[in-house]
Amino acid sequence: MIGVGAAGPLGVSHHDADRPRGLAVVTADASRSAPVERAAWISLASIPGIGPVGFAAVVRRFGSAVAALQAPPAEIIRQLPRSDAETDDALRRLQGVGWPTVAADLEEAARRVGGAVVTALDPAYPASLARLDGRPPVLYVVGHLDVLALPAVAVVGTRRPSGYGLSAAADIADEIARAGVTVVSGLALGIDGHAHLAALDAGGRTVAVLPSPIDRVYPPRHRDLAARIVAEGGALVSESPPGRQSGKPDFARRNRIISGLSEATVVIEAPDRSGALLTASAALAQGRDLYAVPGPIDSMASRGCNRLIADHQAELVTSSASLLHRLGLSVRRPQQAHVVASLSDTEGLVLGALIKRSGSIEELGARSHLATSELASALTLLEARGLVASYGGVTFHATLAARRIVYKTTELL
Amino acid sequence: MLSEMLSATVLGVDGVPVRVEADVAFGLPSLTIVGLAGSAVQEARERVRSAIRNCGFEVPARRITVNLAPADLPKEGTSYDLAIAAAILGASGQLGLAPTRRCALIGELALDGSLRPVPGTLALAAAARTAEVGEVIVPQANVREAASVREISVRGAASLGETVAHLVGLRELPAAVPTPIPSWSAPSGVPDLGDVIGQPLARRALEIAIAGRHSLALSGPPGIGKTLLLRCGEGLLPPLEEDEAVEVSRIHSVAGLIDRREPVIRRRPFRAPHHTVSTQALVGGGSRVRPGEASLAHRGVLMLDEMLQFRADALDALRQPLESGIVTIARVGGALTLPARFALLSAFNPCPCGWRGSRRHACRCEDGAARRYVARLSGPLRDRLDLWVAMDEPELREEPDGAEPSSVVAQRVHAAWRRQVERQGVGNAELQGALGADAGLPVRLGGLLQQRGRRFGLSPRRLHRVARMARTIADLSGSDEIRQADVDEALAYRPERAA
Ligand SMILES: [Zn+2]
Repeated sequence: MIGVGAAGPLGVSHHDADRPRGLAVVTADASRSAPVERAAWISLASIPGIGPVGFAAVVRRFGSAVAALQAPPAEIIRQLPRSDAETDDALRRLQGVGWPTVAADLEEAARRVGGAVVTALDPAYPASLARLDGRPPVLYVVGHLDVLALPAVAVVGTRRPSGYGLSAAADIADEIARAGVTVVSGLALGIDGHAHLAALDAGGRTVAVLPSPIDRVYPPRHRDLAARIVAEGGALVSESPPGRQSGKPDFARRNRIISGLSEATVVIEAPDRSGALLTASAALAQGRDLYAVPGPIDSMASRGCNRLIADHQAELVTSSASLLHRLGLSVRRPQQAHVVASLSDTEGLVLGALIKRSGSIEELGARSHLATSELASALTLLEARGLVASYGGVTFHATLAARRIVYKTTELL
Repeated sequence: MLSEMLSATVLGVDGVPVRVEADVAFGLPSLTIVGLAGSAVQEARERVRSAIRNCGFEVPARRITVNLAPADLPKEGTSYDLAIAAAILGASGQLGLAPTRRCALIGELALDGSLRPVPGTLALAAAARTAEVGEVIVPQANVREAASVREISVRGAASLGETVAHLVGLRELPAAVPTPIPSWSAPSGVPDLGDVIGQPLARRALEIAIAGRHSLALSGPPGIGKTLLLRCGEGLLPPLEEDEAVEVSRIHSVAGLIDRREPVIRRRPFRAPHHTVSTQALVGGGSRVRPGEASLAHRGVLMLDEMLQFRADALDALRQPLESGIVTIARVGGALTLPARFALLSAFNPCPCGWRGSRRHACRCEDGAARRYVARLSGPLRDRLDLWVAMDEPELREEPDGAEPSSVVAQRVHAAWRRQVERQGVGNAELQGALGADAGLPVRLGGLLQQRGRRFGLSPRRLHRVARMARTIADLSGSDEIRQADVDEALAYRPERAA
């Protein structure tokens, strides 16, 4: 048996077919024709507006996707929570062209961009999603499918972060990646992008869940980043079929996949009404752990996070180390003590000051009494050695590498 | 009978000699001016007729033809009036039979025959010198301006009558005393760095920009003193060298922007056009080519506040002067080149609302709108801006924090400028090619620069710029050799860090 039932992602038998989460009842008959049913899933899921809930309802009503696709469109539509003319058109086209052709076309479209189709019937379907209500029936994945089976933590936040938020995102994603855990995020500008980057720079793996089809990476500015994610052992995941013409990016559905793929979600910075707060609610609804990084009380970008903490919905993250501890992870620490030995007094002073507290050149000047020109050159050297980083050139912070080194060579502290 | 006089015209910012020939022949009475003469020159016919009559001479009732040569040069303006009138008088025998004095004639005629000042006299007198006539007559009001040109005798005349008397040797006009090049004094009414709160990195970048004539880009939210800081740049500018002073004064003379009593400018220009400026007003052009703000800022500063609000084509047009210190204007009869070597001091908000990246305020812009906003700074222009600083709101403070006043910073800047002039004759930003050991960049540091470039992902073009900035930083501390700290400081202003 190819083992759709045995593969476990469904985790259902005939007996719980009536339960709402029993998405597909795989009869002995259907399992013999599993490739056919799989093609029907791919076709049915590609209908605009059907959604995971509608999909589940249709399959439940007709017993299988194959059966559903032989029914008149009106009967299918009757099962959907909502539909429009587009849904009707798509169903008619599906029956006109023939759904096996549509499925083959979609698989081919995915292959053209180096991707693959993964349905909830497949062994490769991520176990973390399989257990969820409203799981996506079909995923389009570019990159390494097996990454989706590994432990993951989501790092999300606003598209308009502060320097503090970017620094926190990079620190936390770096630690998570070094602990061997996949960093999941949404490829958005701001926090998401920095979390992906930090994971890659740490030599780790990262998964981007796209709001767009895999053949139209959104946002376009992150296309290079997306390519790097795939090249360095990660994956791009999307629920939208490739080649779809219409299509505003679907952020809401994307967010629940981000949290669903992850054992825990960390919200770095989120103003009121931020999309990251939707990911946070999805994580809570899915029964996953939620963490939030606190921010200054006068910072707009942290209002959502601070409220999550105040309302006891999210756990407070005090440091990336404490987060890892809570997640039961540990970091492999490289040996780089020789770097410190080559620093001048000035550079050591600046690094020591930044390890105590991040700051602007103005603050560093006040604390260290160094001239601006000395600070500027010392910071460049420390940046070049990967000991200091800045976001937007305003606030500078010591990197994790620097912190580790300096823990070892205590003379600087 | 044919008569010829010498005058001059302005082409771009230079004076060019023009021969004015008049021929009086039998035929119906008329006065025709030929030789690519523009509308203002055609109007000279009426002024010249009246002026000749009102000075007691006659306009011959013949066919008069005036030719302005060379014929391929477009001629505009009113500065040929005097030469046209004198040529007509010569051609009609009213200047006597003895040869008249060889001298260039410049000036606009009023109907009563008196002489009115014309713009660009400095350039016109310089053209007369190149024509080797030895003498130039200009309107009284333009005498000091013309007399700042050396190696030519400048004489001021009040009217056509006085000019004729001088030409025929009846009453010689006195030669003007050469106008001295004035000494420099610090500008007044300029904001002082001592009043700027915080922003140490931006202050330092301004100092480097002015010292080596590098370009500066400040970004940050509104109301944090970007404009104030840029304006402080005027108080740091070193005096113009004497030859520069003559060159700059000539450009400003052509634009009609000098004080006729004190025509030679010693302070470096500091031009700050508003963002609504047209491309033509920014880089020059028009049917009668006039220098734009970029040329008026030659050897000084062009300040663009709210740079992203400028027209995209205006910003694009700045690429050439930033790269090569000139503006080329295509026009009928060939391209014209105007000098435009300036330090660009610019500032802009990071997004339309201004608060992107700020900790205290939320940005209200759509992502797309914010990206399009910054994208107005096209790649080629980005590449040509040397020093980049992202500014943030300073810590709240009521009093200035006792930072260095402009007078102290200006001393360093002036000394650094002198070092550049004495070493290489040009500002460090204008050095060509890669710097080597002869420019004080040790081989070891050349290697370090390459290494840093790879680490930070900088283009070779950017690294050349970094090396020139490091040269200026070393000059600011009085060092002949560039040190590693100078290179590293120069790298602190890389655009990748700020924007
Ligand atoms: Zn904004």
